[in-house]
Amino acid sequence: MSQKTDLAGLSARAIREGIAGKRFSAGDVVEATYAHIDVHEPGIHAFNELTPDLARAAAAHIDAKVAAGEELPPLAGVPAALKDNMNLVGTHTTCSSRILSDFKSPYDCTAVRRLLDAGALPIGKCNMDEFAFGSSTENSAFGVTHNPWDLSRVPGGSSGGSAAAVAARMVTVSLGSDTGGSIRQPGALTGTVAMKPTYGRVSRYGIVAFASSLDQIGPFSRSVEDAALVLNAISGHDDTDATSVREPVPDFTATLGDGVKGLRVGLVRDMLDLEGCAAEVREATEMSVRTLESLGAQVGEIDLPMSQHGLAAYYIIGPAEASSNLARFDGIRYGHRVSDPSDVVDLYMRSRAEGFGPETIRRIMLGTYALSAGYYDAYYGTAQKTRTLITREFDAAFEQFDVLVTPTSPTVAFKIGEKAEDPLSMYLSDVFTIPLNLAGLPGVSIPCAKSESTGLPIGVQIIGKHFDEATMLRVAAALEGALDLDMRPPAA
Amino acid sequence: MAKDRLAGVLERYEAVIGLEIHTELTSLNSKMFCGCPVAFGGEPNTRVCPVCLGMPGALPVPNEAAVEATVLAGLALDCEIAPFSQFHRKQYFYPDMPKDYQISQYDLPFCGLGHLDIEVDGEGAKQRVDLDGGPYATRIGVTRIHLEEDTGKMVHVGGSEGRIAGADHSLVDFNRAGTPLMELVSEPDIRTPEEARRFAQKLRLIMLNLGVSDCSMEEGSMRVDGNVSIRLRGETELGTKTEIKNMNSFKALHDALAFEIVRQADVLDEGGRIVQETRHWDVTAKRTSALRSKEEAHDYRYFPEPDMVPFEFSAGWIDAIRARLPELPDARRERFMRDFGLSSADARTLSEDVEFAAFFEEAVALAGTPLAKPIANWMLGDFSAYLNAGTVALSDAKVTPAMLAELVQVIDAGTISGKQAKQVFTEMAETGDAPGAIIEIRGMKQVSDTGAIEAAVERVIIANPDEVASYRAGKTTLIGWFVGQVMREMRGQGNPSLVNEILVKKLG
Amino acid sequence: MSISEADVRHVAMLARLALSDEQITRLQGELNSILGNIEKMQELDLEGVEPTSHSIPLRNATRPDVVRPGLSRDLALLNAPQAENGAFVIPRIVGAEEGA
Ligand SMILES: [Zn+2]
Repeated sequence: MSQKTDLAGLSARAIREGIAGKRFSAGDVVEATYAHIDVHEPGIHAFNELTPDLARAAAAHIDAKVAAGEELPPLAGVPAALKDNMNLVGTHTTCSSRILSDFKSPYDCTAVRRLLDAGALPIGKCNMDEFAFGSSTENSAFGVTHNPWDLSRVPGGSSGGSAAAVAARMVTVSLGSDTGGSIRQPGALTGTVAMKPTYGRVSRYGIVAFASSLDQIGPFSRSVEDAALVLNAISGHDDTDATSVREPVPDFTATLGDGVKGLRVGLVRDMLDLEGCAAEVREATEMSVRTLESLGAQVGEIDLPMSQHGLAAYYIIGPAEASSNLARFDGIRYGHRVSDPSDVVDLYMRSRAEGFGPETIRRIMLGTYALSAGYYDAYYGTAQKTRTLITREFDAAFEQFDVLVTPTSPTVAFKIGEKAEDPLSMYLSDVFTIPLNLAGLPGVSIPCAKSESTGLPIGVQIIGKHFDEATMLRVAAALEGALDLDMRPPAA
Repeated sequence: MAKDRLAGVLERYEAVIGLEIHTELTSLNSKMFCGCPVAFGGEPNTRVCPVCLGMPGALPVPNEAAVEATVLAGLALDCEIAPFSQFHRKQYFYPDMPKDYQISQYDLPFCGLGHLDIEVDGEGAKQRVDLDGGPYATRIGVTRIHLEEDTGKMVHVGGSEGRIAGADHSLVDFNRAGTPLMELVSEPDIRTPEEARRFAQKLRLIMLNLGVSDCSMEEGSMRVDGNVSIRLRGETELGTKTEIKNMNSFKALHDALAFEIVRQADVLDEGGRIVQETRHWDVTAKRTSALRSKEEAHDYRYFPEPDMVPFEFSAGWIDAIRARLPELPDARRERFMRDFGLSSADARTLSEDVEFAAFFEEAVALAGTPLAKPIANWMLGDFSAYLNAGTVALSDAKVTPAMLAELVQVIDAGTISGKQAKQVFTEMAETGDAPGAIIEIRGMKQVSDTGAIEAAVERVIIANPDEVASYRAGKTTLIGWFVGQVMREMRGQGNPSLVNEILVKKLG
Repeated sequence: MSISEADVRHVAMLARLALSDEQITRLQGELNSILGNIEKMQELDLEGVEPTSHSIPLRNATRPDVVRPGLSRDLALLNAPQAENGAFVIPRIVGAEEGA
C-alpha cells in the first residue's frame, strides 16, 4: 500500500526503470494511479471519463514485454491523461460540451496514438473549457475543475483538467492543446511544466479543432525531462495533417543538461510593465532571468510592442476559424439533436443553440461576424496582417537572442467565479501566451516561484525559435535545476 | 416549340451565355482530401472515413494527382497557371455537406484565363444571325478552373419522384462526399444554345483525352450549369441573368437554354422584367421553373483554408505537367489531314476519341500511309455502323487494327472485290477470324488472271452477237450489262476493274 | 463600427443558432465591447503588409493518390442521431431545392 502511494510522485523515467527492473509492474502502476485518483478526484474533478479497461490492457501489454525480456518503449507504464478533445477509440470525446456529451470516438488522434505506442497508459480524459474556449475550465458543460493548490480557485484553462491531473499527481504526464495559451497558462496556475511546441511539430489530426492555424498539442509534466520525453514521442511528420512539417526530430532529452553558458536570454521588458501584470509575477520573472544570468547566460532586454496587439488579432482569428470549425456540429452525423425538429434548418438552429454553452456561442457569433460580407477586411484581413508584424518582430528579436523570457500569466490562479461574468478580463489571462501562437513559436512554462501571500505557483514562459524546442527546454531545465522548487500541492 | 421560335428571337435579341462545368476526377484512385476510393454508387456510407464524414478532429490533405489533373486541364485550355494559389472555405449549411463548408478555391484558383475554340455548322450556324449562316469557328474564353470537393447525395423519401418538395424526410449518403471536383467557368462569350452544346461537348472530349474523368452526364460526373441573359441587338449593357440547373445531357443543355432565351424574350416583349434567380430545367415538361429559395442572401464567408498551406508552382513543375499533355483532338485532326490527306470532317470524327484515333493510326501503320484513306472510310463506314448498331465498345470489338489493315491490303491487291470485302468484314466482326482465313474458307479469291478473264470475255462475246453489234454501233452504256455477264460467267470472282478493262479492249 | 441588433440576428442566422431575445441583447453588448477593444489594432499602419494565414513557410503539402482504409459503416453511423438503411436520416428540407 505504501509502495502504491509512492508511485504517484515518480518521474516517467523512474517508472520505466522500476518496471524494467521488476521493482513493480505496469499493472501496479495502474492500480496505484486509480487509488490515488479515488482520493483526490472528488475534490478536484480533473476528469470527464476514466478509462481503466484501456489502461489495464496497456499495462498488461507492457508487463508481457517485461516477462518476455523485451526492450521497453520510452514511456513504458507511464500514467497519462488526455484532454477531452482528443479522439481515442474506446473513449468518449466530449470537448466538455453538451453537443458532444455522447460522442464515441470512431478513430484515434495521431499524437495520442504515438504517446500510447511509446508505452504510456491511458488513464482518462480530462475536463476542459468547452471546445477549449476559456482560461479557467469554468466553461465546461460538466462542472468546473478545482486547482489542487487551492480548491476554491481555478486551475486555468482551457486544458485545466490535464494540468490539475498532473499537479495533483493523479497522472505523471498529460496532453493538452494550446491555441492562445491553453497549455501554458494552466501550467503556470498549477505549478506544472507545460509546453506548446512549434506549430507543425506535432500532428493535429484527431484533436477537435478550435483554430486550425493556431492549435498545437503539447505535454504537461512535473519535470522538464518528462516534457522532453513526451515531446520525443508525439513529434514528427504525419501525412494526415497538411500543416505538419518534415523537420527532423532530435532527442529532446539529449541536450537538457548542457547548461546555459553563453546562451543569449532576452527579457521582454514591456510585457512586464503591462498594466494588470501582478508585481509578484513581475518579480518572479526578473528573478528567473537573474538566475539564468548567474548560470552563465548573457542576459539582455527587449521590447515587443507589436505583441501588444496580439490579443486583438487573436480575438478575431481564433473565433473566425472556430466559427467555421464548429459548423460541423449540426446534429446530422453525430452530436446533440433536438427531439422534434420541424425541418432541417430548425434542427440546425435549435440543436446548436441547446448544445453549445454561452462562451462557445459568443465566439461563434464573433467569428461569424468577423468573416461576414463587408467586414472581412476590417477584421480578419487586419488581424492577419497584424500577425505578420508580430511574426516579424519575433524574427528580429531572435537575431539578438536564443530564447526570450516573459511571465506566463499576469496573475496567479484566481477564484472560481471571479472572472466568469467578464469575458474581457478573462481574455487578458492569455496576453503573454497568445503572441507565440500567432507567430507559431514554441513556449514552455515552468514554475519559478510561489506567491508569498497565497503560496500559489507562479510560472515563467521561455520562448524558443521555430523548431528549436531543444534550446528552449535546455534553458528550462537549467532554471528548474537551479530553483529546485517543491511543487507538491496540498491536494496531492 | 422553343426551338422553332429561337431563330426569330435571336434576330431581335442577342443571348449572352456563360457556363459553369463541374467535372468529377473519376479516374483518380482516392478522394480529394482523404484516402477513400473514388467510385460511383454502392451501398450508402461504405466509402467514408473521418475526413469525408466531417468527424470532429479529422483533417483534409489535398490529393496530389487532383492538383496535377487540374493544372493539366488548365494547360490544355491555354490557361494561365497561378504562381500562388490556395484553397478557401465556402461556408453554408446543407445536409449533404459534412463539414458545413466546402473546401473550394476563391480568389486564388490554380488556373486563370484560357480559351477553347469551337466550330459550329449545320442548323446551329443559322442561330448566329450576325454571321451569314454558314459554318463558323469562334473562341470562347475560359475565366478560371479550380478544384473543390463534391458533396454527398440525398434520397428524398415520401415526396414525388424523389424531389425535395413534399418529401417527408431524407436519407444522406456520403460515398460521393469529397470526390475531387474540377470547376470550369467560361466567359460569357457564348451566343447560342448550339455554341453552348459544342463548348460542353468539346470540353468533354478534351477531358476524356486527358484521361482525368469519364465525363458521364448521366451519372453526374460532368455537370453543366448555365447563366443566360438577353439584350436587344446593338445594346451594350448586359441584361439580368438567370442561372439554369439540372441540364443532364447535351440535348438538355441546348433545349433548356433555348427555352430560357425564348422565355426571357417573351417577358421583355410583354414589358416585364427578368428576375435574377436560379431556374430548374424540367426535362419532361420541357421548361425551366424558378427554384423556391428562402430569401436569405448568400454570405459564404470565404476565408483561406487554415488546415492547408498555399501552393506555389515552380516553372519546372509546370513544365513537367505540360510534358504530360497528350495530343489533343484539334492537333490530331490537323495531323490526320496533313499526313493522310483526309477531309476535315473525316479527320475530326477520327480524331475525337482517343481510342478510336489510336486504332486508326495503328491500322495505318500496319497497312502503310497510302492506304490511310480506305482505312478511314472503313472506320467511319462499316466499322462505326457495326459498333453503333450493337453498341459495342471499341475495346470489346473483335476487329483489330491488324485485321482492318489486312482487309484494305487484300482489296488493294485486287484479291477480293469491294462487295466481297463487305462480306469479309461482317464475318470478321462476328467471328474475329482474320480476312485471309475467311477468304480461304469461303473460296472468295478474286480472279485477276488476265488469261482466265480473256477467255470468259471471249465466251460472252461469241454468245451475244446482237449486243456486241449494238455496242459497236455506239450504245456504249451496254458495258455494264457485259460486265455482269462476264462476272456471272466467272461466278463473281473476276476482278471488276480487269474485267472492265479487257471488255472495253475486246469490244472496241 | 457598432453592431446593431439586426446585425446580431443576421449573424445568428448565418451561424444557425436559435437565440432568445435576451441572448441577442446580451450578445449585442458583448460583441460591441469585445470589438471596441480591438480598435487599436485597426489603427496600425498595415499598408503593404502581407497577411499571414500560417506562421510556418510550408508550401504544396499534398498526399499521394493512394486508397487507404476508411471506416466501416457501423463506425460511420456509430454516433448518428438517426439512421435508416445505412444512411443518415434528416427531417424535411424547406426553402431550398437541390443544394445551393
Ligand atoms: Zn474519406
